[in-house]
Amino acid sequence: MVALAISLNGPAKFVTWGVISISVPNLIMIGLIVVFFVLALVIPFPSHKKNGE
Amino acid sequence: MSSKERNVDLAKWSGPKRPYDLIKELVIALVVVTLLIGTLAAVFSSPDERAVTLQQWSQAAPSDFVATATGELAGTTISAAYGPPYNDAAEGLTLGPLKLQKWAGITIPVNPPVDFVITPLKSSVDPEVATASSTWTTASADQQKTWAETYAAAIEKTGDSSKVTADASYGPVPVLATGLLRLAQEGSLDGLLTTQVTPLPGDFTMPMLFLADGGWFDELGAAQHLHGDQWGMMNETGSYPGQSWLWLFSFMYQIEPFKSSENADSQIFAVLMLLTLGFILIPKLPFINRLPRLIPFHRLIWRRYYKENNL
Repeated sequence: MVALAISLNGPAKFVTWGVISISVPNLIMIGLIVVFFVLALVIPFPSHKKNGE
Repeated sequence: MSSKERNVDLAKWSGPKRPYDLIKELVIALVVVTLLIGTLAAVFSSPDERAVTLQQWSQAAPSDFVATATGELAGTTISAAYGPPYNDAAEGLTLGPLKLQKWAGITIPVNPPVDFVITPLKSSVDPEVATASSTWTTASADQQKTWAETYAAAIEKTGDSSKVTADASYGPVPVLATGLLRLAQEGSLDGLLTTQVTPLPGDFTMPMLFLADGGWFDELGAAQHLHGDQWGMMNETGSYPGQSWLWLFSFMYQIEPFKSSENADSQIFAVLMLLTLGFILIPKLPFINRLPRLIPFHRLIWRRYYKENNL
C-alpha cells in the first residue's frame, strides 16, 4: 500500500488573481464541491421512481 | 410572529406523504464515506512535514539565530513585546474598548531574555559563558538594553553576526548569544526549552515562541504559503488541499482595514460572529427573509413536488 501511495508533500502551485491567491489543490476541492452540489440537484432520488410518491 | 404564521405552524399536513428510511441512508452514507476516506488515505497518505527544531534553525541560519537571541535580550522581539498572555509589555488584542487579552491576564508567563537565553545558558559548561551571564544579571536594565541594542545594530549593519568585530560596547551579549547558539547546534536547547515549564518535554510554548521570533521560521512559513497575508489559514503544507471552508476568514485578512490592523484577529472574529448572528436571524430580517420568493431555488430542489401538484 505504501508503494502505491502518491506523495503530495511537494510544493503546491498557486493561482493568483488580484487579492485572491488560491492553491491548485484547494481549487480542485472547491470545484469538486460545486460539481457534487450540482449533481445533488439534478440527479433524482432513487426512491422517487421506485415508490412513485 | 404573525397570526398567519402561527396558523401555518399549527395546521396538520394535508399534502402528499411517502416513506423515507433515514437509517438506511445513514448507513449507506457512512459506508461510502468510510470507503472513500480509506481509499484516499491509502493513495494520497497525509501531510508529513517534520517538526522544525531549534537545532535545525541554528545550523541552517546561525546569524539569524544569534540576532534573535540578541533581540530577546534587548526585549525587541515579537514575544518580548507581545503582552498578555505572556507578559505585560503591551495590552494584547483589543476589540474597540474591550481589552480582551489584558482582562484575561498573564496566564502563560514568559520572560524572553531569562527564559530563552539566561536560564538555558546555566547548562553551558563554558566558563566564559558563566562569567558573561554573571555580568549580564548584575547589570542594570538600562545597561543590559544598551548592550543588546548596540550588538543587534551591529549585526544588522554587517548582515552576519560572524562578521561583527568585537567591541566593548556590546558587553557580554556576543558571548551569551554565541553560547546559546552552541547549545542549540549540539541539540541541547530544544530539550532545555521544552522542559522549562514541565519536567516532561510536552510543553512547546517556549521553543515555539523563540523560533517564531526569528526570520528563518518566517521564511519557512512563507515558502509554504502559510502566512496570514498569503491566505495561509486556508492552506496546508505541501500539495494537500487545506481548509477551504475558512475562505471568508482568510479573505478578510487580505483587505483593509483588517490587513494593517494589529487587532485583526479579534476584529475579524467579531465580524464573522455578526454575520453568523445574521444567518441565524434570516427568518426575521426584512427583505432577506423574502429572498426565497424572489429566487425560488427551493422549487428546483423540490421540482417534482411542485410539478405533480401544479404549484
